[in-house]
Amino acid sequence: MTTIATPTQSAPDAKAPDYNPKSDSVVAKRVRSTIFHIVALALVAVVLYPALWMMASSFKPNSEIGGSNTSLWSANFSFDNFVTAMDGIGGVSTMQFFTNSLILAIGAVVGTILSASVSAYAFARINFPGRNIFFGMMIATLLLPFHVVIIPQYIIFQQMGLVDTYVPLLLGKFLAADAFFVFLMVQFMRNLPAELDEAARIDGAGHVRIFSSIMLPLMKPALISTSIFSFIWSWNDFLGPLLYLNTPEKYPLPLALRLFVDQTQSSDYGAMIAMSMLALLPVLVFFLIFQRYIVEGVSTQGLKG
Amino acid sequence: MISRRNFLTTIAVGTVSAAVMAGCGQPAAKTGTAENPVTINYTWWGNDDRAERTRKAIALFESKNPDIKVNGNFTDFAGYWQKRATEAAGGGLPDVMQWDLSYLRDYGQRNQLLDLSTVKIDTSNFDKSLLPSGQIRGKTYGIPTSTNAFAVYYDPAKLASLGIVEPDGTWTYKEFNAFMTEVGTKSNGALYGGGDYTSVWWMFNIWLRQNNIEAFTEDGKLGFTKDDLKKWWNLTADLRGTPAIIPEERVAQLTPKSPFGANAAATEVTWDNFMAGYLKDSGAKELKLVPVPSDDPANLGLFLKPSMLMVASAKTQYKDAAARFIDFMVNDPEVGQIFKTSRGVPASKTQRDGTTFEGTDKSVVDYEKSIEKYLKDAPEPPIVGFGTLEASFKRISSELNYGKVSIDGAVDAWFKEAEDLIKQNA
Repeated sequence: MTTIATPTQSAPDAKAPDYNPKSDSVVAKRVRSTIFHIVALALVAVVLYPALWMMASSFKPNSEIGGSNTSLWSANFSFDNFVTAMDGIGGVSTMQFFTNSLILAIGAVVGTILSASVSAYAFARINFPGRNIFFGMMIATLLLPFHVVIIPQYIIFQQMGLVDTYVPLLLGKFLAADAFFVFLMVQFMRNLPAELDEAARIDGAGHVRIFSSIMLPLMKPALISTSIFSFIWSWNDFLGPLLYLNTPEKYPLPLALRLFVDQTQSSDYGAMIAMSMLALLPVLVFFLIFQRYIVEGVSTQGLKG
Repeated sequence: MISRRNFLTTIAVGTVSAAVMAGCGQPAAKTGTAENPVTINYTWWGNDDRAERTRKAIALFESKNPDIKVNGNFTDFAGYWQKRATEAAGGGLPDVMQWDLSYLRDYGQRNQLLDLSTVKIDTSNFDKSLLPSGQIRGKTYGIPTSTNAFAVYYDPAKLASLGIVEPDGTWTYKEFNAFMTEVGTKSNGALYGGGDYTSVWWMFNIWLRQNNIEAFTEDGKLGFTKDDLKKWWNLTADLRGTPAIIPEERVAQLTPKSPFGANAAATEVTWDNFMAGYLKDSGAKELKLVPVPSDDPANLGLFLKPSMLMVASAKTQYKDAAARFIDFMVNDPEVGQIFKTSRGVPASKTQRDGTTFEGTDKSVVDYEKSIEKYLKDAPEPPIVGFGTLEASFKRISSELNYGKVSIDGAVDAWFKEAEDLIKQNA
């Protein structure tokens, strides 16, 4: 091995006096790095252009949004759209829509975390009869498109008199109906060393103790990625609230956003875009705070799964 | 005492008899009193502005009818129909609903809507030619709140800047084409003459009526031939690809605004109640309406169409309250004063006469008055799946504009889709 390595190592040294390859490689590296960054920035510009367009348009008057106006900035810069957006719709204030969205999103996060982690513990650590069949059935629900269950689900909630409450939107979250999150946590838990709970069992801990003192703290990355996804999904959900909520006072943001655009009458694109900007903020803040964990969570799962 | 042994039987009998009693209780319509009012649900689609106006109308209704409370709610147009479809399947349609003509036959035939001729609603102030558009096979499912009519929009300021004389609305298709070409050439392509009007289904429908052909037969089949459609799409054959007609690529870029709303075209053929939307989209000071072209000056093929209807759910427990609310919404002059033309021009004469129109509202009302002598009976409610047909009409004619298909190919393609759809829904 050394015989092979020696000539390759000595080769640059031998040529060094001729044209100073070291400084050349630095220049080459710099050029390459500059090109890389330019290309990367260009790609970023392309990818982020819609966001930039949205931001710019939120300060434009309605008649200058879209259509033949292609310039990004308008001479008629104003905050009017935000004022209209904050005015609310049909007597319901915009803060009300925000509050509703927050209640639903936080409810979804709490429910999913509680229910999915407990079910995942059962699937990963307790050897109950029929475990594999139940696990398979749970995975099978992932394959069932939401649109197939809409009507049966609606009929059930309608018969129970729960339409126009948040129950239909949150009940599933508290009953671990989001198979994706249960699956994610099961996979994560299976990779935690079983010796840990065996040791705890020897010390006299039962399932409750093992779950709360050993498993939950170790599952932090999985819990955080679950929270982020379920927050964002609930925040952006349109169809669920559309079907189950009747009173405008209970509407979350995605429903309210659509009310600015009425093809049969007049559309206020400006206010809609301004409100989209505002609606984006909480998700953005939530993501920025937890982004470190989301990458961590996803990568741990990806590596070990 | 209930023993352990017959406990289950007792429960079962109890449940069954409760269910039977609940079943018996249903047919009797419930009424309320001022102390103990009934609550009906009313739902509509629309924006902030309509929500505000409807809120006022509901408050007025409640103050005049203390025995009824109205619970109002609203969504956007697209979401509205998704929600109704689910509710209809689940048996939970709201008591009273704002309705669109293109969905009337679909829900009416499936017995989801109440036959309004069985309840007390005053229709004596309605134009007799209008009411049939809310009726299917002798049953009245919808009462029109308001009407709209087809028109050609133009922006007088833009025409003046190009030095073009404003149209007076008495024109043949040839003259209309020449007008669009003039706009396109004089502006050097900065402003197109208009969209391709042959891609608009309702314009085709009007042209058929100008030629005394009904678009659909009474049994829901196509009333025109391939030759008719060929003739229609040939009307603008020479204009496609010239500055007279806006290219399809440009139309796609301008979406969601229409070419006219985006100030890219000088004219547009569409319903007259879109005035407020166009004013807002384009930022123009004033827009004008003139009648559509016709080769027969005595027959413009125009009609009033209900821009919206009021319907009630077939399963409502409060038929009487629902009927009183519908009657109030379509007939009360004060309601007209609240809505002005935001729903269209009020359909009932008492409501129309009780409303003062100004500015934009006035131009729409004046337009409908100016075409009064040309109006014919409104067509029957569109066939089931009409929305799909209308969309494919638009899609196939936009392929014509892209130059992807010949006129013959386009006609064959549309007829095949239409016949398949009619067969499917028959």
